Amino acid sequence: MHELTWGLPVILYLFLGGLGAGAGAVSASVLLRSGGGDQAGLGFKIARCGALIAPIPVILGTGLIVLELGTFQAGNWFRFINLFKVINLSPMSIGSWVLGLFIMVSLVYAYTFLKADPHPGDDRHQLRKLSAWAMVILGVGVALYTGILLGAMPARPFWNSPILAMLFLVSALSTGVAVILLGRSVFGKHVDKEGKTTSDAYLLASSDMLLIGFEILVIFLFIMYSHLTIGSVKVAMGVILGGELTTLFWFGFVFLGLLLPILIELKYVIPTLLFQKQYEIPRSMEVLVSVLVLIGGFLLRYVVVIAGQITGSIGI
Amino acid sequence: MSESKQQVSRRDFIKKMATGSAAVATTTVSSVALPAEKNKRYAMVIDTRRCVGCQACSVACKTENDVPLGETRNWVEYIEKGEFPNVRRSFLPRLCNHCEDPQCVSVCPTGATYKRKEDGIVVVDSDVCIGCKYCIQACPYGMRFINPKTGTADKCDFCLHRVEKGLVPSCVNTCQGRARIFGDLNDPQSEVSQLVATNATTVLRPEMGTGPMVFYIDADHTDERDAEKQGIYVRIDTHRRQQKRV
Ligand code: SF4
Ligand code: SF4
Ligand code: SF4
Repeated sequence: MHELTWGLPVILYLFLGGLGAGAGAVSASVLLRSGGGDQAGLGFKIARCGALIAPIPVILGTGLIVLELGTFQAGNWFRFINLFKVINLSPMSIGSWVLGLFIMVSLVYAYTFLKADPHPGDDRHQLRKLSAWAMVILGVGVALYTGILLGAMPARPFWNSPILAMLFLVSALSTGVAVILLGRSVFGKHVDKEGKTTSDAYLLASSDMLLIGFEILVIFLFIMYSHLTIGSVKVAMGVILGGELTTLFWFGFVFLGLLLPILIELKYVIPTLLFQKQYEIPRSMEVLVSVLVLIGGFLLRYVVVIAGQITGSIGI
Repeated sequence: MSESKQQVSRRDFIKKMATGSAAVATTTVSSVALPAEKNKRYAMVIDTRRCVGCQACSVACKTENDVPLGETRNWVEYIEKGEFPNVRRSFLPRLCNHCEDPQCVSVCPTGATYKRKEDGIVVVDSDVCIGCKYCIQACPYGMRFINPKTGTADKCDFCLHRVEKGLVPSCVNTCQGRARIFGDLNDPQSEVSQLVATNATTVLRPEMGTGPMVFYIDADHTDERDAEKQGIYVRIDTHRRQQKRV
């Protein structure tokens, strides 16, 4: 058994960073899709919710990662500043800069919505649109980098796959959608007396479904290619194909985090999708689906980070 | 131009390229120009046939570099295999490979870890390192650890403080069987160059593409998986806190 160099803080950071980046990117792209940000209405409301959520998990995760630094633990609290004295081709270096930029831009973006009655055309509108463009790019950047960070090392065969970053990106976007869905479901005023959500969550639910579908595909490719190769990668993949993390991966992540939510969503989305019925979903179901997706997102990071560290190259 | 002469001149040329700037100077004004300081490429040859597994190097390294308890810059693995009377026990001394293409360097976000141009030694600048542990993940040999006192990454540095003064590393100095030989691979007269040229040497995990600069003679690369395949008994003792090879 290998030692865990990166523990829970890193796992939480990868999850929260992806979550916030996903929420930010989704919010900004929904905003920009509503007539380039100029239309009031549903898109604007969704964007507002995502914009207000996005910075929180990212800042929280970044705070956690600082706790994991050896120098911080040794009492040298501000040594991490050194990250911002240089930039080189290390994924962590580029990632830290992108992350730093993301945090700043996401705060600006959130600020543009933080007023009594934000609406297209108000005094912060230009700033909002401008930061939204940056949010899409930076959000995707942060989400991708969390995967590239792990994928860059031949010494860690479980992680050393180009598709890992893709997997993390899709998972980040889907957890981002889920957290917006959850936020709207819990705090939203669009719920009628019987506790049913009216049609405006359809856009989110159906995109969430699509993203989970993609995630299942990417997971399939990730496992298939690793399994079809030989040597260290195949041995490493063994930890989720019969090894110690099998149950957590298949039951926790794949079943609870992907299959169950996509099936529940299908049940409610299909009538609207195929028969143009009014979209209706009980609030409890909406909460359940979002929470499941979030749990799945966390378990994915958990399993991947642990699996990568308890496996290594074979032979000497 | 004859075949051999052509080869000589090409080698000369490559050599001059390697020394860099002096390529022109040496041909035209060689009598006046001082010989350019040639970069060194330090390497170690470990002749496992001469190693008796006494761990003197591990102890010497620990004292010389004040390595904290529980951490190791140097260790000697014991590899036992076979069933009496067909048995073998061999020793595999381990230290940082000072790789030609070190992964620890390419992932370091602060530039704290770097390979010195003048001698090829891979070092950690503990005033710059933030202790992010990325290099620990990236080293295919499990050579790195976080020094609990400083919180920064630490590993074998070929005893830079000694080598700079013209001394050999502490582990080399102490090795009673002369199993460890340290020197400059850029100097064809050095003992390491001669040993590498005249022996079958191997490096650890060559498939990682790191280009290790620690060369082993007669190393036993057996691991537990080989045991299964070959149907023999194999036992590996790492003699460090991490009881399995990382
Ligand atoms: S052995 Fe590891 S720590 Fe040493 S230079 Fe190579 S990659 Fe870096
Ligand atoms: S722990 Fe230090 S030396 Fe290692 S990658 Fe991080 S900053 Fe660089
Ligand atoms: S060269 Fe120095 S630091 Fe490296 S293993 Fe030998 S004694 Fe330890």
